[in-house]
Amino acid sequence: MGYFWKQAWQNLNQNRWMNAVTLATITLSFIVVGIFLILFLNTQELLKEWQSRMRITAYLSDSLSTNEIKKLQDDLLGLTEVEEVTYRSKEEALKSLAEKLKDKQNLLQGLPRNPLPASLEIRLKPAYQHSAGVHHLVTKLRNFSQITDLQYGVQWIEKLSAFLILFQVLSWSLGGLLAITTIFTISNTMRLKIFARRDEIAIMRFVGATGLFIRAPFYLEGLLQGLGGASLAMLILFLIFRAFLKTIYEPLQSLLGHFPLFFLNGEQIGAVVVAGLILGFLGTQVSVGRFLRVY
Amino acid sequence: MMRVSKAYPQNPQALLDISFKVEKGQFIYLLGPNGSGKTTLLKLLYAAEKPTQGKIRVDGFELHRIKSREIPYLRRKLGVVFQDLKLLPRLNAFENVALALEIMRLDKREITKKTWEALQLVGMEHKGNCLPGQLSAGEQQRLAIARAIVNSPLVVLADEPTANIGLHIAEKILKIFAEINLRGATLILATHNEFLPALLPRDKIILESGRIIESSLPLMTPERVG
Repeated sequence: MGYFWKQAWQNLNQNRWMNAVTLATITLSFIVVGIFLILFLNTQELLKEWQSRMRITAYLSDSLSTNEIKKLQDDLLGLTEVEEVTYRSKEEALKSLAEKLKDKQNLLQGLPRNPLPASLEIRLKPAYQHSAGVHHLVTKLRNFSQITDLQYGVQWIEKLSAFLILFQVLSWSLGGLLAITTIFTISNTMRLKIFARRDEIAIMRFVGATGLFIRAPFYLEGLLQGLGGASLAMLILFLIFRAFLKTIYEPLQSLLGHFPLFFLNGEQIGAVVVAGLILGFLGTQVSVGRFLRVY
Repeated sequence: MMRVSKAYPQNPQALLDISFKVEKGQFIYLLGPNGSGKTTLLKLLYAAEKPTQGKIRVDGFELHRIKSREIPYLRRKLGVVFQDLKLLPRLNAFENVALALEIMRLDKREITKKTWEALQLVGMEHKGNCLPGQLSAGEQQRLAIARAIVNSPLVVLADEPTANIGLHIAEKILKIFAEINLRGATLILATHNEFLPALLPRDKIILESGRIIESSLPLMTPERVG
């Protein structure tokens, strides 16, 4: 193995310029993929966060007695989608509205009676915190005659979900395109290296080197380039991400809301690095398979 | 080698109906003018080419039906001195010779020992650090021989090893081959230089237009194929 490492390292050193260009191309590809990945994962996190806050408000008929409300509450808790049901009386609703109106509270003073209905605030179980889950539950809730009206804001979640799917498709397409570019770049570099070393390869063949012995340094080189490119991309991306947080995101956080932005976690960084290794291998395979004669 | 022919699209009679047997430890000359088929015959022997017809056997390897993965192991039993030498310009003399051992994954100490021995045998031990470009034609030739013999091959194949060098150096190189032969290796030396057998008389096969026109080796019959 030591011989292969030595050979691979020597080859990398011999064609520094060519290797630098290849490394830069791989790094750039992985930076672009990384940016998309970070955007996608953060948007997904944001969506999850919003979905967890998803509530359905069921407005109740004024004629319901306390016992009837209690029974309805129990019935709703018996539904598979429902996690929690909180009762809000007419008085509490009015109080809450008054708090929201702040200095315009006098608008409420002339009212002959409390016009706001009592309501049940229904929180869904995590597994049903999506638009289909909400729609499903709403259909069931409509069968309860005690409920006069339902309020649920699901449209914007549907839009965001659709956007996320589109974003995911776009990310995969771009990722695929960049993967092909990376494979092409690595394979092209390898082709040039095979050509540059054709005499040495011929001699190795004639003195009895096995196919593995001749191919191994090329594969090692390809793997090192893939690994180096992906790792470098992660490092650069992390530095850019940190700089973005400090100089742009944090000062604007009061305007944008307090949603924390995440960089890729260890597992995701590992996956990117493994992807680098796989692309390095495939890029080498394309050229070695086509241009390297070992017998 | 039994009834071997080799045809190329541009040369359909590169070799025609060649049969001969070389015994272990023999030294033979393969003589003939340029284009007579000497290099093609050597290429068949180190499995760089496959015969179009006929059978070739080298130390148990059936070269007419050898599998690709077996070729490296055949070549480790052979030492080839190429007409164009095939020395690597970026490696020094020592490294050029050691390459043939590195591919066999020997340990470093053994590689060093055997490489110095081979360089010593060809009288090049003092030039180990020189790059091929810094050596004379005769020295480069000797270096190529050192690489061919460093792994103690059973058979040494040499293609025009005295081309482009003077008679005096050619004699020196012949002496090296004689020494290698004395140590037990079988030698097949291809040359168009008819003076060599006069300097060191040995068996010979003379080729012309891909056919054997004269041979001092015993006639081959199918029963005697080796």
